[in-house]
Amino acid sequence: MTRLFERHQALISGCISFAVILLAWQLAVALGFVQIFFTSTPIRIAVAFWSGLRSGEIAANVGVSLYELACGLALAGVAGIGLGVLAGWSRTIEHVLEPFIWFTYACPIIAFYPLFIAWLGLGAPTIIAIAFLSALTPLYANTLSGIKNADQDLLRAARSFGARRRDLFLKVALPGSVPIIVAGLRLAVGRALTGVIAGELFGAAAGLGYSIAFYGQKLKTTEMMVSVVLVVILGVVLTQLLSLCEAATDSWRTGPGQ
Amino acid sequence: MAIATDLEPRRAPSLGDALDRYYGSLVSTAAVVAFLLVWQVAAARGWVNARYTSSPGQVLAAALDIARHDDFLHHAWVSFSAFSLGFAAAFGFGLPLGLALGTSRRLRLFIDPPMMALYTAPRLTLLPILIIWLGIGVASKVAVVFLGAVFPIIVNTMAGVREADPHLLQVARAFGARRLDSMIKVLVPGALPAILLGVRLAIGRGVLSVVVGEMFVSEAGIGHQIMNYGEAMQVGHLMVYAFAISLFGYALTILVRLIEDRVRSWRPQP
Repeated sequence: MTRLFERHQALISGCISFAVILLAWQLAVALGFVQIFFTSTPIRIAVAFWSGLRSGEIAANVGVSLYELACGLALAGVAGIGLGVLAGWSRTIEHVLEPFIWFTYACPIIAFYPLFIAWLGLGAPTIIAIAFLSALTPLYANTLSGIKNADQDLLRAARSFGARRRDLFLKVALPGSVPIIVAGLRLAVGRALTGVIAGELFGAAAGLGYSIAFYGQKLKTTEMMVSVVLVVILGVVLTQLLSLCEAATDSWRTGPGQ
Repeated sequence: MAIATDLEPRRAPSLGDALDRYYGSLVSTAAVVAFLLVWQVAAARGWVNARYTSSPGQVLAAALDIARHDDFLHHAWVSFSAFSLGFAAAFGFGLPLGLALGTSRRLRLFIDPPMMALYTAPRLTLLPILIIWLGIGVASKVAVVFLGAVFPIIVNTMAGVREADPHLLQVARAFGARRLDSMIKVLVPGALPAILLGVRLAIGRGVLSVVVGEMFVSEAGIGHQIMNYGEAMQVGHLMVYAFAISLFGYALTILVRLIEDRVRSWRPQP
């Protein structure tokens, strides 16, 4: 029994910690410390969650948000990795791109959302554009730094066997950067998800962020909390998935670099 | 770039090297100037609809107009005070919690899972709830900045403390340092680079939070103005405010990076 506890200590203590939070929340409302209107209760949220599942509302909202996230990320992946590769190939291209890339990073993209609405209309295209711009910089920066910091020993070895610049780039530097590009993807997913949800809070007619804003304005705390919980779950699941990918792409490496 | 310089044959330093040193900034400046020119010409010639894209000239005119007729300093102050209050609270709360979590395994086991769940989720989702709790005034903006900024600070402080040199800790303890002593004199300085990295990440999140908070609901502030001009389709004015807030975030980030470099420079290279 104690062995079992020790092996799964992190998991068990994590579950205990969530259970305590939920219990305290439920009790605080039940005993009248906080008004149910402000926080709702875990049981009510669970009931609303179940009815949302059965009516298909949850599936529809999650579907829309995931679709927008996937489109934004795919575009950012193509553009970010593509530009990163170009910048890694030529120093001039790197310097041409630099001010624009860092501007999209420093600037709160969501501030331009009225412009996106004017250009692309209300709904999915605007949200995809915001997700795209939010996710672009980590992918670009990680691709570039992966190529720039390619293993010097490998490069030297390849060169002494007669590799040309193109070979060095395509066969050594680029494959060597895959793990750091995947790490960039993990950062990009977090930023893109923030972009999607924040964009949906303002300019959308569907999605998790929209449903949070919609129920928030109607002061329906329970229904709003359902979507908030879903966003938290989505964030955790996506980040964990990409951490697994990161470990998988890194596992074939051996040697002192590990 | 490492590969390119390695591929090119080494040559003796010459006059061209002086140009070489500034090559990067020259190319970057040229690119920005070219972009502004294309933007201006495209808008003037009607290749793009200037009503939607504005133009550098219009943005400049809007900046002058804002400086003259808009109460820019007031809006900047509203945003800045919400940002700094939220950020100060995040630092004051995040640093001790990060230190505690870094040093105590038991605490980490129980607090880490719910904290990580909140860290990975976009905290802006909580904005509508915060508004129900705290109203549409300054309090909910401060709270959303706090939530945006606190997690990078906690997580990075915790990581920095856990990576602190165990030998230094042992030495300190062998010379009779108590728990608080070793925390203030060994752990915090050792974790400083990680803490500063957390602060740098937190700045970006905090600036985004204050803008989104003000865009969502408020009566004043940069985000409020962005929303107003956006709804009125005054693109030039919107861009001036968006540039201003970007510049603020960028300048703060650069400042922290400079401090980071100074902090790192006294350490011996491993």
